[in-house]
This record gives sequence, C-alpha cells and structure tokens, in this order.
Amino acid sequence: MFKLLKEVFRTGEATVKYPFAPLEISKDFRGKPEHTAEQCIACGACTIACPANALAMETDVAAGTRTWSISYARCIFCARCEEVCPTQAIKLTPDFELAVTNKADLTVKAVFKLADCVCCGEPFAPAKEIAYVTALIEATSVTSADGTTAAVSEDTERRRRMLATCPSCKRVNDLVQIARITDQQEKRR
Amino acid sequence: MKMDTPADIKRMKSSLLSNIRRSAYVYRVDCGGCNGCEIEIFAAITPIFDAERFGIKVVASPRHADILLFTGAVTRAMRMPALRAYEAAPDPKIVVSYGACGCSGGIFHDLYCVWGGTDQVVPVDVYIPGCPPTPPATIYGFAVALGLLDQKLKAKTHIEGEGEQAGIAHPAVPYNVRIHIEREARRMAGYRQGRDIADRFLGMLQIPGDLPLQQRVETFAAAETDPRLAEIYLQIGETLQHPELRP
Repeated sequence: MFKLLKEVFRTGEATVKYPFAPLEISKDFRGKPEHTAEQCIACGACTIACPANALAMETDVAAGTRTWSISYARCIFCARCEEVCPTQAIKLTPDFELAVTNKADLTVKAVFKLADCVCCGEPFAPAKEIAYVTALIEATSVTSADGTTAAVSEDTERRRRMLATCPSCKRVNDLVQIARITDQQEKRR
Repeated sequence: MKMDTPADIKRMKSSLLSNIRRSAYVYRVDCGGCNGCEIEIFAAITPIFDAERFGIKVVASPRHADILLFTGAVTRAMRMPALRAYEAAPDPKIVVSYGACGCSGGIFHDLYCVWGGTDQVVPVDVYIPGCPPTPPATIYGFAVALGLLDQKLKAKTHIEGEGEQAGIAHPAVPYNVRIHIEREARRMAGYRQGRDIADRFLGMLQIPGDLPLQQRVETFAAAETDPRLAEIYLQIGETLQHPELRP
C-alpha cells in the first residue's frame, strides 16, 4: 500500500491541462495549412500534388480570374503542398483546433487575376505568375549580362514580350519566324 | 405525445446543451473508416488526455447516446447500419462528423462505393477535420459540440490586390547557387526538412562579412548542435567549391 502511494506521488499527474491551458506541441507537428495569398503565384503546383484534392484551382476565363481554394474538411495534413510550393506561400502551422459547426467555414479561397496574351488578348496565365517569372529571369540576367545598356534593354523587352505571350501564339510566331528564315535562304540561292 | 418535428428537436437540442447536468454519452459509429480515427478516439479517453474528466463517456449502444460520432467516408455497405444507429439514438442527439473522411469523404471522396461524408446521410452538428484528428483536436471538437468553446475557423476569401507581387527568397545569392543548395539539401535531408536546411544555409550566406566561404561554412557547422545537420552543411559547402558555381 505504502509502496503504491509512493509510486503514485513519484509519477505525479499524467493528464495534460489542455482545454484550460495551451498544449505543448512537438516541433514538426503538421496542423492547419496556412496560405499566404500575397506570396502565392497561383501556379497550381500544390493542387497537382494534393493527394486528397483538398486544394483546387478553378479558372473563370469570362471573368479573367483563377480561384484557389482549400477545404480543411478534406485535407489530410501530409504537407505535400508545402514541399512543392516554389514561393513558400503555403505552410503547415501547429494549429489543430479546426472543429466547426458550419461546414462552409472549412473553406478558404483566394482569387487571382489572369493576364491577357499580348498577341491575341486571351487570358492565359495568372498575372502574378508571369510577374514572378519575369522578375526571376531578370534578376538572373542582371548578374550575367555584360553588354551595352541598349542591347540589354532590347533583349529584356523581347524576353518580357515572349513571357507575356500565350503558348498558341508562341507557336504561330515560331511558324512565322521559320517561314521568314526559309524565305531569306531561298532568296540567297 | 409525439414530439419529432424539426422545431421540437431544435428546442430539445438547445435545452440539452444548456441543461446537461450529467455525462455526455458518446456512441461511435464506424461507417467505413480505416480505424485510424477509432484509435485516436480511444487515445482521447486514455489518462493522458482523459476526456472522461469532462464527463465524456464512450458507450456501447446508440440507445444510451447523446452524441453520435460518425467516422469513415460512408461506404455503400455501411450506409444502412449508420442510418439504423442514427434512428436508434434517442432525440435530442448531437451528430459529430469525425475525421477528414467523415467531413467530406477525405482521400476516398471520389471512390465508386463512397457516399462522401456523414452529411450525405444524416444532419451533422459539428465537423472535426483531421486525418485522423489528434486527441486534443477531439477534445476541442467535443467542447464545440457541447457549446463550451467557440469555433476558431472562419471562411475567408482573398481577392488579389493592385500591384500585389510574390517576393523572391534570398535574392542576393546567385540563382544557380540557390538552386544548387536547395537541391543538395533536399537530396540529403528529404524534401520538407531540406527546404528548411537550405533556407538556413542561404540565410548564413547573406550575412555580410569578408571571411572565405570555407571558413564561414565551418564556423556555421560548428555552431550547430545536431551532428547530422552539421554534416549536411559541410557537404553543401564542399559542393559549392565546384568551378561551375564560382562567380
């Protein structure tokens, strides 16, 4: 009896104080995925990686928008989205208190604008994605370019124009260019 | 007197929530889950989390239950048993949808034999998402179900603002070096940890100073308490000596 009491006092209380005091959470706990919409470029990498289809992307061409959405109801907290995100826009937080009474509260959405193609004027990609790619390429070329400023700016302008062209227009442009080159070769003969 | 109109049930439910002066009995209905949720429910009634100190008790029959806990994605075979359990429980009853599968079908949402969520067959009062929900999340869900705590999540929609632009991480480090460090870190430490390691390494590179690279990496690795991380830092530093990555 005395031995048992000694053991009980030695062990102390095992029960956590959770609802009345914050719970101690381990370092790599995977809780609610938090989306920083300002940092998101709507590239869709996370929606492809998501095994449970909790992340979804819907394109509305008429309105020129792309809507990103996450349903915490379907999320399995695997962190694949965090792994694949190129801009670190989505991160898993240690927040686990997700219970709701209204199912609609489990959905978070973000609406992004689509950019129009400079050739045909059709919306084809999120404007933020194009801006991000342009910034990334220009940051790279600044460190490597060492020509005259005029040549650099012309090159930059051409590259920007190419990035803002939709794939089908690029194909058409390529054909036109190939036709022009073969024409010149014909003339030279 | 028969009292089963929706208005009656709603009134009884609110009186149950405010006047419950005894234990809330929980009956667990498994409608096609993988058993992960069941394990977490039983983890929630172990001494560590001890849901019974709030009077939450798991019972063996739906006829004793105040709270019905539906787990699983509602498969074709388990739909009728789930409905029978729902009918057998006396009114007023609180229906809790437990786990990612119970909330919306989860990872099984598009299977041919899956109804996709408890709310497809019975009216649900509280949703506890998670795959599976941890015992603290379960206790929080019960507290929300009994009206003791308020829900924290709110639906929100972000609309892209004017001139909103995503920032580039570590812009001071050349692009090819950045990619190389991230790739090496992820190759050695796995995808998720690799990114954290690469972030820390790139942060170290950006600290101004005129020490040679080799020495900087060595002091950085020496300051790291985890020998595995220190080794990864040293190896990344070694690969940075490659002539293609020299500026």
